Amino acid sequence: MALKGLDIFKLTPKTNCKECGSPTCMAFSMKVAQGAVDLSKCPHMSEEALATLSEATAPPMKTIKVGTGDAEYSLGGETVLARHEKTFVSRPRFAVNLTADMDIDVVMAEVKKVDYDRIGEQMHAEMVYVEYTGDSAAYVEAVKKVCGIGKTIILGCKDVAAAKAALEVCKAEKPILDGADASNYADMVAAAKDAGAVLGVTGADINELYDTTAAIEKLGYKELVLDTTGADIKTTFATTVQVRRACLAKTPDRTCGYPSIVNLSKIAPNDEPMQIALASMFVLKYGSIIVMDTMNYARALPLYGLRQNVYTDPQKPMKVEPGIYPLNGGDENSVVLTTVDFALTYFVVSGELERSGVPCNLVISDAGGLSVLTSWAAGKFSSTSISKFIIENVEPKIKCRKLIIPGKVAVLKGDVEAKLPGWEVIVAPNEAVQLVKFLKDMQAAGEI
Amino acid sequence: MTLFDRVFGGSQEMYAWAEKAVTEAVEKYGVDKEVSLPQTAYCLPCYYAVTGEKLTKLGEVQEALGGRIKSMMERKERLHNVFQAGIGTALAAEIIEAMKYIDGAEPYAEPYVGSFSDAWIRELGVPLVTGDIPGVAVLINAAPTKEEAVALVKSYQSQGIFVTCTGGICQQLIDAGYKTGFNVRVTLLGDEITSVIHVVSVALRAALIFGNITPGDLDSLMEYTKDRVFAFVNAYAPVDDLTVGCGGGAIAFGFPVISNDLVSLKDMNVPKSLILQGDTSKFNATSLDARDIKIKIAQVDIPVSFASAFEGEIIRRGDMQVEFDGSRKDCFELVCTKEAGDVVDHGFELIGPDFDAMEVGSKQQIAYIVNVAGKNMQSDFEPVFERKFHSYINCIEGVMHTGQRDMIRVRISKSTFEAGFRAKDLAEVLYVNIKNEFDAVVDKCSVTIVTDPAQCTKLRHELATPAYDARDERLTSLTDESVPVYYSCIMCQAFSPSHVCVVTPERLGLCGAVSWLDAKATNQLDPQGPCQVITKERVIDENLGRYEDVDEAVNKFSQGALEHVTLYSIMEDPMTSCGCFECICGIEPFSNGVIIANREYAGMTPLGMTFADLASMTGGGVQTPGFMGHGKHFISSKKFMKAEGGVERIVWMPKDLKDQVSERLNETAKELYGIDNFCDMIGDETVSTDPESLLEFLTEKGHPALGMEPMM
Amino acid sequence: MPFNGKSGKFNASINTVEIGCGEKAIKIGGENVYPFYTFDAPIENAPKIGVMISDLGLENEPAGVKAYYEGCSSFAEIAQKAAAMPGADFVCLKLEGADPNGENKSTEECMTILKEVVDAIDVPLVVYGCKNVTKDAELLTKAAEVAQGKNVLILAAKEENYKGIGAAAGLAYNQKVGAESAVDINLAKQLNVLISQLGVAPANVVMNVGTAAVGYGFEYVVSTMDRVKAAALSQGDAQLQMPIITPVADEAWSTKEAIASEEDMPEWGDQEARGIGMEVSTAASVLASGSNAVILKHPTSVATISALIKELV
Repeated sequence: MALKGLDIFKLTPKTNCKECGSPTCMAFSMKVAQGAVDLSKCPHMSEEALATLSEATAPPMKTIKVGTGDAEYSLGGETVLARHEKTFVSRPRFAVNLTADMDIDVVMAEVKKVDYDRIGEQMHAEMVYVEYTGDSAAYVEAVKKVCGIGKTIILGCKDVAAAKAALEVCKAEKPILDGADASNYADMVAAAKDAGAVLGVTGADINELYDTTAAIEKLGYKELVLDTTGADIKTTFATTVQVRRACLAKTPDRTCGYPSIVNLSKIAPNDEPMQIALASMFVLKYGSIIVMDTMNYARALPLYGLRQNVYTDPQKPMKVEPGIYPLNGGDENSVVLTTVDFALTYFVVSGELERSGVPCNLVISDAGGLSVLTSWAAGKFSSTSISKFIIENVEPKIKCRKLIIPGKVAVLKGDVEAKLPGWEVIVAPNEAVQLVKFLKDMQAAGEI
Repeated sequence: MTLFDRVFGGSQEMYAWAEKAVTEAVEKYGVDKEVSLPQTAYCLPCYYAVTGEKLTKLGEVQEALGGRIKSMMERKERLHNVFQAGIGTALAAEIIEAMKYIDGAEPYAEPYVGSFSDAWIRELGVPLVTGDIPGVAVLINAAPTKEEAVALVKSYQSQGIFVTCTGGICQQLIDAGYKTGFNVRVTLLGDEITSVIHVVSVALRAALIFGNITPGDLDSLMEYTKDRVFAFVNAYAPVDDLTVGCGGGAIAFGFPVISNDLVSLKDMNVPKSLILQGDTSKFNATSLDARDIKIKIAQVDIPVSFASAFEGEIIRRGDMQVEFDGSRKDCFELVCTKEAGDVVDHGFELIGPDFDAMEVGSKQQIAYIVNVAGKNMQSDFEPVFERKFHSYINCIEGVMHTGQRDMIRVRISKSTFEAGFRAKDLAEVLYVNIKNEFDAVVDKCSVTIVTDPAQCTKLRHELATPAYDARDERLTSLTDESVPVYYSCIMCQAFSPSHVCVVTPERLGLCGAVSWLDAKATNQLDPQGPCQVITKERVIDENLGRYEDVDEAVNKFSQGALEHVTLYSIMEDPMTSCGCFECICGIEPFSNGVIIANREYAGMTPLGMTFADLASMTGGGVQTPGFMGHGKHFISSKKFMKAEGGVERIVWMPKDLKDQVSERLNETAKELYGIDNFCDMIGDETVSTDPESLLEFLTEKGHPALGMEPMM
Repeated sequence: MPFNGKSGKFNASINTVEIGCGEKAIKIGGENVYPFYTFDAPIENAPKIGVMISDLGLENEPAGVKAYYEGCSSFAEIAQKAAAMPGADFVCLKLEGADPNGENKSTEECMTILKEVVDAIDVPLVVYGCKNVTKDAELLTKAAEVAQGKNVLILAAKEENYKGIGAAAGLAYNQKVGAESAVDINLAKQLNVLISQLGVAPANVVMNVGTAAVGYGFEYVVSTMDRVKAAALSQGDAQLQMPIITPVADEAWSTKEAIASEEDMPEWGDQEARGIGMEVSTAASVLASGSNAVILKHPTSVATISALIKELV
């Protein structure tokens, strides 16, 4: 259980010195409680207070940073098992599986084709997983090829010598060395420490994984990720879930408190639909890095959509950019429809509009990322906000003067009409699914 | 003669008849002859439902009649025995009917239907369960004239009620050429009284199929038919003993009998069961009332459209036929709770001229009074209904409504007027919507519209104003201590899964939209809905507002996410917030008080956090001691953080908010602590947005919080 | 010291509901652990997969689906082919043509097709309405009658029409009642309460708690299912212990990701692969969140999800 803000506040100097960047000690304490700011930002905490707090505020699951620059990512740091309890914080990252015998440049050229924006988030495979296949020299060459391409590097290698050689070429990029097991962990810890790399721990089963991790912790190394991949799908799922559950239990088992790697190229090789299915499950259930054969749109579209949904903060709704979105070849003479900028509303409405096939312009104004009725109730989707946006942004570009407003805000019709001289305001049905028929009927009647 | 005598007399007569019929059949076919009614798997369904035994052979029938049925008819002056005798009469009648079908005979030819198949029962059962068929009328004997027979059947048919006819009325309908049959929901059972068993069989088989009643479980069977099968009997005079015997059975199954036989049934009426109604034109209304049948109205029958799409229409002056303006003339809208006897359902009265007698474009007065009656109606619901008028009236094409109570404004457009829209249509809109939306509590509803100037003035002062005053009085007099229960509200769980609001009279929902009365009404209108009763019997700590009952409820409704909440503390287990809160209060440690920020305020607060910062840590159904979301009205409540000392702790709020609440907050502070103009001591953004200068300000003003016990 | 995890087995369990008759009848539900948590306790009944077919035939189907049914000339043949799809446990007939906003087929017309399908297959059948609540009230009430004796699942009774559909399916004709609500635990519970008040035994009710395709507000689906299962198992809430069925095919295949042609979105690549991706991703996600049955349509998706379930249970 995380510490409450007030408990932290009691231990602050209560001077409101602002050196931490927060205007007051209270504001600082609340942010620390939320995990938004680190306790160490306060330069005036007493030793005693720090000791008390760091123990209590130490998260059950460590946040591990990997990669550098644009390819730096935080993994782990979760505090709940289900997103409705609070929110998930570190989205899982996707890695592409590579071996030395592949033409890595060609593979990566394909992978890089997937790089697109989805509601303000850039979507691409963030990592590469370079699997060691026995030829040390070739391995190092392969690793060289993925250096400096903006992807976090994971070395899948249990051979200490090969691992050291590979680390030598890529250590500047803060890679992950996924290769410690019961037999080699001492050497691997040394190698990882030297290179400043995060160490991935594997085990024949969950017990070996656990014991090895405990042993590594004893050596004082805690920059770890747990490779929970097992012999088959069932054990992989079981290990991944159990490890996460143990570290977020009421009495946390901190030895389990590290991010995970699941390697689908091992448990479902060359099976794209199965890898998509498994990746989906591990996005929901506790994969931190998900390794797959490749990244293409058939994989990316569902998986990144799912990840974006599940890793949104429930209190901060996803928003789309305000603007005019022409659909079905809509142009300046096409009818105008408006709704709010809540991403879900936008997707549902634009989907139905596309199904109707009727050329139109969907106008989105800033409604605080709330749904139609909520934003209306909050005064963020009002006759004033709609008409202002239309006059400033739509009138200069669109000639059509018919505006369709959501059925749920039929009450706005009169006010919008009054504020938009020259426009005819039409009330749409209450539900988006009814839009298809509504628009088709209007089209058939020659109204649009 | 008493009613008991007549029931027992009738049952004896029926028994003798059945005995004769069975004896004749046995003589003709022997005891092993198969007995059945057509197309039913329930082999003498009524007998099976009542006793749990299937009768398939004549010998078994003979045995049942002389044994079980005869024993049911034992004459004792107890209500239980009368019911038993009535049911026995019905079972005897079933046997008589079964004898008619023996050896594959077809005793009923069209248009008579006789016994119903199981398939018909299943088909009929669904609309009976859904209420699409709101009731079943059992008409017995010839009406005074065939025209009257037709009129009564038609009245039921138009209400969707399933009609069955027995006796002389059948021939009357045939003579009148009235179309009958299962598909038009008017059926002729037979000319003899025994044929009435075929509709009893419908009710009992429905109980077996739809109620999963175990055959032979008579108590459950009677309970099911009483609660779920909305049948009733209309028996025209003269009513003979046989019919009275069967009537005893009907009453036993919960079906009231309405008759105009004032002679032979004189003084025998039993409330809700045997009702004498001399005026046969009132059979319909009396029956519906006796059986608590509510007829659903499918659509509003007015000359213009009625839809939510018209809700936002604005009627401009030039397009206006007439305007009712509460700011210039005496206007009001009011819901009045009345006794059932004082309300004629669907009644309409217009006092004064109709719209066509009003000058085009003129300002007029109007009052509409909606009278409602219902067993579960409470006057606390009146304002809840009234608040809906705005949207009802606005949904009429070409009609605009603003305001409430006696400050309303209603405009009717020229085109709507030209389409024929008049006062009665306005009344119809109110009637239909109230009846449909509030059918759980409204049994009867009538509308009076007043346009006469003198009457409007008089009624406004004598009826409306006192009613509004009484309501306001009730609201302010409600305290957490004076009510027996609180309510939960989980309307927001869609986006804030573990949040539960506990709504009390002095602490409305934190969204500011749900008062205790609203929650109460929501609960009664929709018992499975978002507002549930929370008892407050097991107090743990009165000052904190901690109750075992409340904890249990919160635990249950949050699916275990929350274990404890207090009603009056922001420091100990404060109530959670969904995210809809109007305001957030948060502890300001340097001045030993709290600041409040409202949603509209975008600036900085002395805590160093904006409303948005505060909201991000308070929302989502988590408990954050020292911080809490709440409604604006709660600020001036005597229960506002009562455990920490109450409103005295408020040290800062945005100016706008302060202006909104100052009057009531000053009153509360005066009452609780004797402080005058308390709001002047409270800081705002024009004074300070940091703790240091706020403290200076408070010190200068001598704010009481500075001298109070530390909050933490 | 080996790993020492606490078991997450619960005392309460999900209701077991049987659909269909004879050897090929299926059971769904019955588990007392979270989805696929076999390490806590065995999963009583593996989740089941249905294949969706439509009364509108194959015209609007993607190429891979069309190819699978090639040569089928009647609804009976399509239904048999669907039943024979590798990995399929049941067939779902969607009567979408009845939608008044679409083809507006009469109930009689739809019943003829239903009868044909009922008679053609021996695997369990799910009858899926047209989503218009008024039409479904009539359509599904009748469907319950037409499919008498087959123990079919009627999808679905909603708050607006549960009385008629619930009474017909759950009481008059002894079918299974699907209770559909819109992605909200409280609405789901409320509908279950209402249906049980109607007299339908809880063992005859299956929930459809609503879904979306991944990427389309799917977080609400995850949270609703997570919470329903948590309430059912850890709180022992009997009104939420009905198993969950999720029709995935419709949602997945109507997204832009599945619909956009390669001409329109050349960089997106193979259209069919995208549709399959959406379908398997959504199906795997709802299964991981607690669905006890999913309804799919592409043979590749059915094979994949079937293999996934076999691996996990």
